[in-house]
Amino acid sequence: MINHFNTSKPLVVTFTTMCITLLSTFTYGASEEIPDLSGFWGVGRCPDGSFTSCNTLSQDDQRLTNRARAYQAAIDEYAQPKYDCAPMAIPHLYTDPYNYRIEQLEDRVNFYYAKDDVVRTVWLKDHPEPRVSDFFIQGHSHGRYEDEALIITTDKFTFDPQGLNADFQIASSTQKQVTERFERDGDDLMFKVTTIDTFFLLEPWSYEVRSTPAIDLGGEWSCSPRSSRHSLRFVPPKYNEDPSPERLEYLQN
Amino acid sequence: MKIIKKMGMLIVTALYLTSQASAHHSVQGIYQEESIEITGTVIEWVFVNPHPFLTVEVVDESGDTHEWDVSFGGPAVVAMTRRGFSKDTFNPGDVITVTGRPTINEILYGVLGTLGNVPVDQDGNPVVMPAGGRP
Repeated sequence: MINHFNTSKPLVVTFTTMCITLLSTFTYGASEEIPDLSGFWGVGRCPDGSFTSCNTLSQDDQRLTNRARAYQAAIDEYAQPKYDCAPMAIPHLYTDPYNYRIEQLEDRVNFYYAKDDVVRTVWLKDHPEPRVSDFFIQGHSHGRYEDEALIITTDKFTFDPQGLNADFQIASSTQKQVTERFERDGDDLMFKVTTIDTFFLLEPWSYEVRSTPAIDLGGEWSCSPRSSRHSLRFVPPKYNEDPSPERLEYLQN
Repeated sequence: MKIIKKMGMLIVTALYLTSQASAHHSVQGIYQEESIEITGTVIEWVFVNPHPFLTVEVVDESGDTHEWDVSFGGPAVVAMTRRGFSKDTFNPGDVITVTGRPTINEILYGVLGTLGNVPVDQDGNPVVMPAGGRP
């Protein structure tokens, strides 16, 4: 009996290889073309040209949970971290009119923000995951390229009393997750930000803004604690019976 | 040296100021709606982030001397630099006139200035070119 299988083995192997290759293309789905996002960018602006009208939560926002309102009512402005030069976290970081820089590397994308001298790293490739007990002000970010866009997902945020909005004492929890999508639109950069926080938001909160190219970051932030605390000079403490909220140089001696 | 009260609200300036000042520091309940002018001698100009501020010694109509705090709301160093401000814009001993909203609590001696209505020197000249357009 003629063994037809033996004589057609090379063809089978070749055909199988082709099938696997073709299948891989469909399995990894969308194009991974890498958009050119690198460079300096100006603050993201809303469709009306402002940098706050579409990307901030209002003081009495309907999306706030009762828990968020309770925290808001209790927080004393004096206790907000920003007065000790602690940085804003995303997404609220994007609501200040300052430039930022994107640096695309093979295994990561770095974001450098003029505001608060914040540096974020978005990991593209295998990177050790943070420990369960590790949390970060800017969270821990993963990124991927898809359909000529950079998609970033960030979680592992610390609890932050100014995490959703620093103007109106809207905190964010360790449940906060932020998804960002960056893509080019001609010379401009469009980015959409979606935030969920099941502790403090009733529903996902999204906005989309446009950045135009910038020349540079505009200088170092170099926050001055004195200047920062000076802002509180005319703000009455919420809890008058508590000790003075002025900073003590407790560890100096 | 005197303090002059101006009636009426500078609507455009106030709106501009609000948009700047709401950058993480609400001024609601702190400053009056009316603006005033204060004329005095610069004590200190702190041109650092997050918010530069000025201290001006003013003699009031009663002859009493008070130190007034002049801030510009939200703008930080880079924003003010774009408007022409620098660490050398004010020097101790300079005589200037500032227009802005005074604190509601008048014993606090604070004024919220704007980049659209910059202080002027003793000759009436703006210390920097006034801002135009939107931030």
